[in-house]
Amino acid sequence: MRFPILVALALTAAAGGARAEDPPAPATVQDCLACHGDPDLSITLGSGETQSLHVDARAYAHSVHGSALNCTACHPGFAEPPHPAVNTASRATFRAAFRDACKTCHLDNDRKAHDGVHYKLLAAGDTRAPFCADCHTAHAIEPPARPRSRISQTCAQCHAPIVAAYRESVHGRALTDGNPDVPACTDCHRAHDMKDPRERAWLLETPQMCGKCHGDKKLAAKYGMSDKVLQTYLADFHGMTASLHEGKSVGVTRFTALCIDCHGVHDIKRVKDPESRVIRANLVKTCQACHAGAGPTFPAAWLSHYEPSPQKAPLVYAVRLFYMAFIPFVIGGLVLQVGLNLWRFWVGR
Amino acid sequence: MSSKGDTVVRFSLRTRIEHASVMGLFLALAVTGFPQKFYPAPWTRGLVDVLGGIDAVRWLHRASGVTFALLFAVHVVGAVWPTLRRKAALSLVPEAKDFRDAAATLRYQLGTAPPPPAFDRFDYRQKFEYWGLLLGGSVMVATGFLLLFPLLATAVLGGQFVPAAKVAHSNEGLMAFLVVLTWHIFNAHLSPEAFPGDTTVFTGRIGRERLRHEHPLEYARLVAGAPPPPLAGSAVRALALAPMRGALLVMYLPTLGFVMVGLHAGRRLRAALRRLRPRPKPGDEAKESEPPASAA
Repeated sequence: MRFPILVALALTAAAGGARAEDPPAPATVQDCLACHGDPDLSITLGSGETQSLHVDARAYAHSVHGSALNCTACHPGFAEPPHPAVNTASRATFRAAFRDACKTCHLDNDRKAHDGVHYKLLAAGDTRAPFCADCHTAHAIEPPARPRSRISQTCAQCHAPIVAAYRESVHGRALTDGNPDVPACTDCHRAHDMKDPRERAWLLETPQMCGKCHGDKKLAAKYGMSDKVLQTYLADFHGMTASLHEGKSVGVTRFTALCIDCHGVHDIKRVKDPESRVIRANLVKTCQACHAGAGPTFPAAWLSHYEPSPQKAPLVYAVRLFYMAFIPFVIGGLVLQVGLNLWRFWVGR
Repeated sequence: MSSKGDTVVRFSLRTRIEHASVMGLFLALAVTGFPQKFYPAPWTRGLVDVLGGIDAVRWLHRASGVTFALLFAVHVVGAVWPTLRRKAALSLVPEAKDFRDAAATLRYQLGTAPPPPAFDRFDYRQKFEYWGLLLGGSVMVATGFLLLFPLLATAVLGGQFVPAAKVAHSNEGLMAFLVVLTWHIFNAHLSPEAFPGDTTVFTGRIGRERLRHEHPLEYARLVAGAPPPPLAGSAVRALALAPMRGALLVMYLPTLGFVMVGLHAGRRLRAALRRLRPRPKPGDEAKESEPPASAA
């Protein structure tokens, strides 16, 4: 019973071994480049657009695949002319013909990408939505996050205004300076299975996203930040509401303030930056976005991520302390009497 | 036994409606309030969803809270007005006797005093609960309104009053719930005298025998056909002092619980330690008598 499986495994291993030992057949690449090395090689698509068929030999050789794969690894059946028929009706159909090329090796990321918002748009007929090759390029593929600032460059191809705002943010500036601790686009949005950022479920996850770094003790110590920002947010009215909006909660008529509603999304500034939305001078205006008519004393109702203490919020601290003693005192005193009453009934009868 | 002839009217229809309303509102406020206090707990999500989402829960909570505040106001006016017109006495205001009664009852239960004293229309436990509800209710109503109108609250009082009100509202609510869970449920349902439940507050009638047993002073007046004792002195003064006396009783009972039970436990502990301490004579004799016993 086991024999055929063993044989199959042995054959697979042999095949794998042979593949690894054999140098990539440069002859094949060279064969293809005989035609596709011509910068002017192109076809006219049904839509009238011109589609270049040129492959930059140098860029391919430098790419992550250049030394490992020959052309037919991704283009099976294209070893020699005539090539299989491709739907050349438009740029979109032409690109779609090669969309599944990556999943032979990168099945995991391909699957994730099919869960992502870009694929959703693509499936809905939005031909602008990118798939593998649009972000990674087809032939000049380089490590996507080396350096990490490459990530925002990639996204900027379509999301230029957002990336421009991000580059001016506290995170974006640090990323440009090569700081490894700040989030690039994909750290919040993820690389392949990014969700529609307008989706409620995703928005409600954002506090936890921010909390991943802003609840980290080491990072907090390194940059002199509080590591209690998520905790204090969740303990307050907004955070509590956001928590209760989660899950399959129904009937949400209004949305509560999340981190991004006060701090901004892509243009987050250092909290002490004069342009920050949450610096004291600007805070009332930020509150007024939801609380129309909020006066100058209104922002003090929020403890600015501080935990109540005798210095920061003496009244709140005092009330909390009072109840920490008062509740056990009252309930304890009453329970003792109830217990005594029962005991008396027990022994007295 | 429980034919109408054997019962007397104890609560007016209005009092019964007030009690039923407080009961319903208290439950509604607890059910819609606790998911907000204990929101990280897993059970809150299901409860909130069943009630139609957090926004619906909030509106239910606010509507119940405002209704409670109205009921509270109606009750206070309904108690203050007849007193000012000297049409009724304040039978729920703690007297010196209530403080003595509480101590005497505990001493009896500890077994160091004769059976407890005779109570009037309301005993000290009932007065405690009434004033607990009145004083706790006023904290809940006041902090509730601060939270309902944060713009006004911050403009008039200052920013910190809103988070302070939230802490107070949340804790006072929890305490009210725990007091009802321990004190009220015990005294009105689980106590040997009331089990399985005292129905007087719903029917308005109490058995004659039971009244004689639990409120003998009131019963004696009833039998004699005497009216309730009139309010002595100035009605304004009595009304002004009433909440203070109520607060005093509310603080007094838990203190008494700790002090009396603590003292008693201390005495018992000392007695036990004295018994444990090796006494030279009897201890030695006991030891010497042991070996033969085990050998046999």
